[in-house]
Amino acid sequence: MDARSRILSRVKRALEDRPKAFLPEHPHLPFPEDPIPLFLERLGENGAEAHLLSPEGAQALLRELAQGLPGVAFGQGVPAPFREGLPPLPPEEAPLGVSWALFAVAETGTLALSSADGRRAQLLPPTHLVLVERERVYPTLLAAFQDLKTLPSALGLHSGPSKSADIGQVMVKGVHGPGRLIVAVLT
Amino acid sequence: MRAKAKLYPKEAARLLREKPGVREAVTGATLHFERNRLRAYAEVPIAEWRERAKALKDHVLSHLDHYLELAEKRLRENGVQVHWAETPEDAHRLLRAVVERHGVKRAVKAKSMLTEELGVNPLLASLGVEVFETDLGEYLIQLLGEPPSHIVGPAIHLSLKEIQKLFHERFGTPLDASPEALAQVARKVLREAFLSAELGISGANFLVAETGTLALMENEGNIRLSTSLPKVHVAFVGIEKLLPRFQDLALFLPLTARAATGQRLSTFVSLIQGPAREGEEGPEEVHVVLVDHGRTALLADPEAWETLRCLRCGACLNACPVYRQTGGHPYGYVYSGPIGAVLDPGLLSLEEAYPLPYASTLCGACLEACPVKIPIPKLLLTWRHRAVAEGLSPAWEKAALAAYRRVMESPTLYRLFSKALRGLPLPQDLLPLLRAWTEGRGPLKPSPKPFHQLWREMEEPHGR
Ligand code: SF4
Repeated sequence: MDARSRILSRVKRALEDRPKAFLPEHPHLPFPEDPIPLFLERLGENGAEAHLLSPEGAQALLRELAQGLPGVAFGQGVPAPFREGLPPLPPEEAPLGVSWALFAVAETGTLALSSADGRRAQLLPPTHLVLVERERVYPTLLAAFQDLKTLPSALGLHSGPSKSADIGQVMVKGVHGPGRLIVAVLT
Repeated sequence: MRAKAKLYPKEAARLLREKPGVREAVTGATLHFERNRLRAYAEVPIAEWRERAKALKDHVLSHLDHYLELAEKRLRENGVQVHWAETPEDAHRLLRAVVERHGVKRAVKAKSMLTEELGVNPLLASLGVEVFETDLGEYLIQLLGEPPSHIVGPAIHLSLKEIQKLFHERFGTPLDASPEALAQVARKVLREAFLSAELGISGANFLVAETGTLALMENEGNIRLSTSLPKVHVAFVGIEKLLPRFQDLALFLPLTARAATGQRLSTFVSLIQGPAREGEEGPEEVHVVLVDHGRTALLADPEAWETLRCLRCGACLNACPVYRQTGGHPYGYVYSGPIGAVLDPGLLSLEEAYPLPYASTLCGACLEACPVKIPIPKLLLTWRHRAVAEGLSPAWEKAALAAYRRVMESPTLYRLFSKALRGLPLPQDLLPLLRAWTEGRGPLKPSPKPFHQLWREMEEPHGR
């Protein structure tokens, strides 16, 4: 017998006389009518900078952030108008990464980023701008997960800038991932 | 990892004597975690969350064979290579094969208690692989050659001063460098490692059976990087880590974050389905190693099986007045604090770990904190009963208890002994052995009259 069958048969033997516990259902939570104000507030509490902007407003914000920088690392899904006039750089070198979120969650102030958009631009540059469409903001994590039809090879949930309190219990930002997270919710 | 749990009482006393700073650092950090947890619990209907989480875990554990087989199937469909390991040796064999096949020279590691159990780092070192712990706290203790002292904050026993000194010696930073500056130095070294490593190693917080999803929680981004940049990712997963459905993560991710650090969600969550798809960035190969290492034995235990619900959030450590005095090192095994005290005797053997269930005041704070309601105080007593039944308590303790019992059962002997004790010279002057105990405490002053006599005298004036 191999390790697999030995482990499984021990599990079966251990459970022989154990009563089976039922699987509880998830309750349906009351959803706020408009999740956007809560989303912006929670992102702020998580240490991110959050804005509600028109696409043109977001493009202006990006241009402002990119001013004086040699270039920007873009996620695959970032639409062409956002890229105009900004030299693309590999994420290892770019001081700014721009990603297009798959969805977002208000209750936790979270952005969901797909591996299909490109993982490096989400993680390597010290500053990260995430664009998310207003309709893609869910009130709760449960609502978002129940709505997911397919899963990418890796889904990253980002809820603020990278941080650590491992050095003498002092909160430090930007330890490995981006130390600055800016979010534009597009109207 | 070789367990030294048997030495707990000695090691705890030695740590308190030789490293008094640890108590201050650990107490400060755990109280901070504890305040945050209480605030985060108060924000949600926590009683209902905990009850539901417990019921869900009980469901998984009572159908574990089914969910393991389902998870294996889904993982394979996702293109993940699945392995099973009963022992550390099994895990080593698999890892050695990966290292040889890919010519691995460097590995980046995400914090994982299970890899501590399995001794992954010493194995890799013996294969000539340079291993980088990438969680900042874990990196600090790797530089110091120490094991983690807390499940969530592995370096909470270190003061800023000690870390400044460590970095000064290693990297030549000034002795008064700020935490920001120190973190930037570590970031630079580790970024280099991320970009050049061929292998990323992680544990997992959860494995979803329905979708074959690995879920990993963290705040720094090192887990996202360790599982994204190297071309091979190996995840070690304890067989108790399963969840039935993807949507169950909507309860367990926020509950774990609230219990561990008081956050609504940890800053980064990686939900991994498999290797990178056509044209994507990410690992070419993903391996999941399903590890037993004592878990099936725990599952068969009529009482201790409940420890398998544990989410490794560390909330019970933060709440524990005993853990706070020393941190995790004296416990002598991977898991310390209240959960370690009831898990280690099951994972190792009671013979190896019997002092740990005594490292508690039975105050019940751990149960109050636990997000999956593991009855730790009850289990502490269970292990104590078993230790006595198996004759594991030391001979002097048995003799002392027998003598105590004789004296307490006989009023004559009791009077005789209390009189004799009151007449004795103070023990701290006599016994240098007791000095470690008496040094920090005031001298014992026996009352001139025994309590029962004082009691009688108190009652007499009332004319009874
Ligand atoms: S026993 Fe409970 S409180 Fe302690 S680490 Fe496990 S889940 Fe957290």
